[in-house]
Order: sequence, then C-alpha cells, then structure tokens
Amino acid sequence: MRTIAEINDKILQGKAVVWTAEELKIKVQEIGISKAFKQVDVICTGTFEPMESSGAIINLGHTDPPIKIRQCWLDSIPAYAGFGAVDLYLGATAMADYSISETLERIPDSKTDRERGGGHVIEDLIAGKSIHLRAIGQQTDCYPRASFENNITKNTINQFYLFNPRNLYQNFIVGVNGGDRHLHTYLGPLQPRLGNAVYSNPGAISPLMNDPDLDVIGIGSKIFLGGGVGYIAWEGTQHFPLQKRLPNRTPIGPAATVAIIGDAKQMNSRWIRGCYLKNYGPSIMIGVGVPLPVLREEVILHCAVRDRDIVAPIVDFSIPRRVRPTFGLVTYQQLKSGRIKLEGKSVRVAPLASIALSRKVAEELKELIGAGKFTLTEFVAPIPKDRSFVPQDRRGSSLNLD
Amino acid sequence: MKKRVTLTFPQTTVHMPITYKLAKDFNVAANIIRAQVAPNQIGKLVVELQGDIDEIQAAIEWMRIQDIDVSSASGEIAIDEDSCVDCGLCTGVCPTQALILDPESFQLVFKRSRCVVCEQCIPTCPVGAISTNL
Repeated sequence: MRTIAEINDKILQGKAVVWTAEELKIKVQEIGISKAFKQVDVICTGTFEPMESSGAIINLGHTDPPIKIRQCWLDSIPAYAGFGAVDLYLGATAMADYSISETLERIPDSKTDRERGGGHVIEDLIAGKSIHLRAIGQQTDCYPRASFENNITKNTINQFYLFNPRNLYQNFIVGVNGGDRHLHTYLGPLQPRLGNAVYSNPGAISPLMNDPDLDVIGIGSKIFLGGGVGYIAWEGTQHFPLQKRLPNRTPIGPAATVAIIGDAKQMNSRWIRGCYLKNYGPSIMIGVGVPLPVLREEVILHCAVRDRDIVAPIVDFSIPRRVRPTFGLVTYQQLKSGRIKLEGKSVRVAPLASIALSRKVAEELKELIGAGKFTLTEFVAPIPKDRSFVPQDRRGSSLNLD
Repeated sequence: MKKRVTLTFPQTTVHMPITYKLAKDFNVAANIIRAQVAPNQIGKLVVELQGDIDEIQAAIEWMRIQDIDVSSASGEIAIDEDSCVDCGLCTGVCPTQALILDPESFQLVFKRSRCVVCEQCIPTCPVGAISTNL
C-alpha cells in the first residue's frame, strides 16, 4: 500500500519511480505483477485524439464604454455569449455562420475558412496569434455600447481556460461503411462496400483503459492537459460506466468519460490542434496525460492490460440511426495490425488517434514527474459508477386518455 | 531504367499522340500516373518512362524540341512534417500503401515510389498537412 502523500514526497525528492503504461506492460511480462508493484510509484498514460466536446472559456475584459455582449465572433467563428457581460465560450466544433454574408466577406481566405472552426481559433490563441473579435451588445444603462471590434491575443484577455465537457472516452467504436455510397463521418472518410475501417481510441495505452473502474482517479485529479496542467472536473457528458465489460473490467464499447479543465495560457499548440474532418466539420485534437498512482497491487493488474485483451465494436455507418448494426467485436491488437477480416474480406484499418503522439504525451508526463515538476493530487469525490445512458425519445407519442 | 517526369505541353501540342510516339520511335513505355488534358488548354502529364537510358534521354530531347516542358520535379504529394500529427487516417484511404504507419513507432511513412498521386489523402488529412505540387 502507498498513499498519494508518500508518492508526492518521493517525487519532490526525485526518488519516485515513474513508468509509462507501455513500459509497465512490458515489465509485468518480465517480472510479474507483485514485483512490478514493489518497484513503481506512478504509471503515465496518454492520448492524443480528436475530442470534439471541448471548448474555451474567455473573459475579454471590459471596454469603455462597457458592452454586454449578446453575439460574438472570433475570426468569424461564433462564440456563446449568454453569460455575464464579457464572458464567452468558444466551442471546438463551432463554424462560421454562412447565412451572414457580411461575415463571409470578412474572411480573408474564404477557400480554406470553410474548414476552420473553434478548435483552430483555440489553437491559434494558444500559439500566441492574433484573433479578430467582433461583438454585438444589448444596450442597457449599465452597458451602453452597441458593438465592439478588436484584435485579441491570449495576453490581452483575462481568463482563457479550456473546459471540456466530454474528454478521454473510455474506449470507442470502429467505423465501417457497408453501403454503396461514400460517407463522410466524424471518423473521417468511410469508403463503400467495407472499403476501410477507422478506430479512434489508442487502445491499451489510453488513460481510462488502465483504470477501468476509475478507482484511482476522480474529481480533482491533476492531469497533463495540452502541455499545461489540468484537472478532472466532473463526470463527462454521456458518461456510461454501466457499459458491458470484459472480465478484465475494460468496456466493450464507449463507456466512462470525464469533463476536464485547465489554463489554456500555459498550454502549447503542439498538443492542442484544430482539425477538420471533411464534410463533417471542424474539431480539435488534444493531448491528455493521466498519471495513475500505484496505491495498490490492483492498479498494476489493471494497467497490465494489453491490446489483445481489449475490444471495440465494428459499427456500420451506412444506416444513419441511433442504433447502428454491428459486425461484432475486434481486438485492438487486430486493429493496430492495419487489417481486419470482415465478411471474408481483408479491410484496411486506420487509426484517428495518434498513437505516436499518445506515447509522447505519456513520455512527457513521465519526464515532468521524474524531474519533480508535476505532483499528484488526491481526488475529492469519485466519478459516479452507476450512470445509465438514456436516449432522447419524444414523449406523448402514445395515446394518453388522462 | 525508370524515370518519373512531368510533361507540360502547350495548346498546340495537345493533339499530338505523345505516348504513342514515345513507344514507336523510342521504344519507351510511358506509364501515365496523372493526366490533366483538355482541348485548347495547357496539358499536364505525370508519366513514368521505362526503357533504355539513352532512348529515354533521346525521347526527352525530342519532346523538348516539340515545345513540351519536361520537368523531373515530378508531380507528387508533400507532407508537412511540422503539421502532421501521425494520426494515420490517410493510411486507410491510400490505395497503394504509399502511406503507412511504421508498425513499431506508429509514425507516418511515405513511400514515394508507390504513390500514384491519386490525392485521396489530401482532403482526408484532418490537419491539412498533405499537399500536391501538381
């Protein structure tokens, strides 16, 4: 048994033993779980993948005369302004509103800007670039100004932090297209007649695959977020811990999620990348690293899980319904081989998460902890383990005689 | 030997059966990788010339006399390594396995000789890291 306080003492003295999840998996093969438990204090997991339920909170600072912003655009991308006067929320998938021709004219390079979204603006702000702001206010006695335009950078605004309502999906699906029409999806292009398959979770190195029941992380756990420090803030949207699980406790499809928060001013645009999935829309790729404290031997047991021990469902996107038909389960070992067999046919498989950068996130976090620059926190409340996942169906569709 | 070249021909030569001439007069097989040819417009052809080294050289000289610009900087895709995040999404649409992920490092590897410049990877790339010089 270890405590977080003991681990932190070791980190600060430079004596903590820190391994990446991949190193741990190899070590367990060599020396077994008990010996590995005796040696290691922290296991670093990481991922770098599109996480579209992400966004940035911004406080602009007050203008003179002041404005209560009701509508706002950052480089023509609309930001939500339904908070206090100059508080904004810029969502990663927000895109330019093409019904406003004036907005279109302001776009300097309209050819590429169709592909630009909130995620790109967030990346540019983190990179220190200047962003054009246009705001329309509601005139009141407190806030008489009707409109405002300016160029902003991360140094000319107050708060700028990411608050991502759903990140770190614990497992996901594999997309295929069994139809005869090319599909543009959030997993990228899916070619007809099972032309290709795409998976989006980095598998056994992914943070929540290594703590399947979220036993050692919870609300308040400190994480590596986009090159800076972040925290787990809450359960994520669509958090579904009751997903079916294998005996090793890993889920067989999308399951737990977390909401995370962190100061974007400290982040690095190397780990926060705006992206665009053709004919689907803009999104954002984020590097997130989660350090798992080795409090009990059970932590090692869960982290020892390999790509061959975890599975994802193959889902046919050609039927655009909430419940889509599946072709069964496939292991991450098969997915990472680059080919899977479907209906007797060999199908190319590509990832959407960057496995190379996921590894780099884990390595970077390991270095920070090893250098005594990153300590762990005790969580203040657990992530709920009993959330169901309800569909949104229209009520009152059946006859009611009351 | 094999040599990949880009041919740019003016409107006046568009009607000329270039590949037939190469085969008949120089015994050079021209494998067309890409073509952009339309009536009364400047045409572009990326071809892989296969044949004897002297005959390929003679064929290129002959084409230059015909006012065809022969450039060995052939049409190909370029990957901006600073932009690329090694996600590998492009490897799923590449029909010739010119784009693959290294099985160990999972970093993107581009095998130029396998590329047929179909350009399917360009719109697929989520970070716009792939472009073509054609």
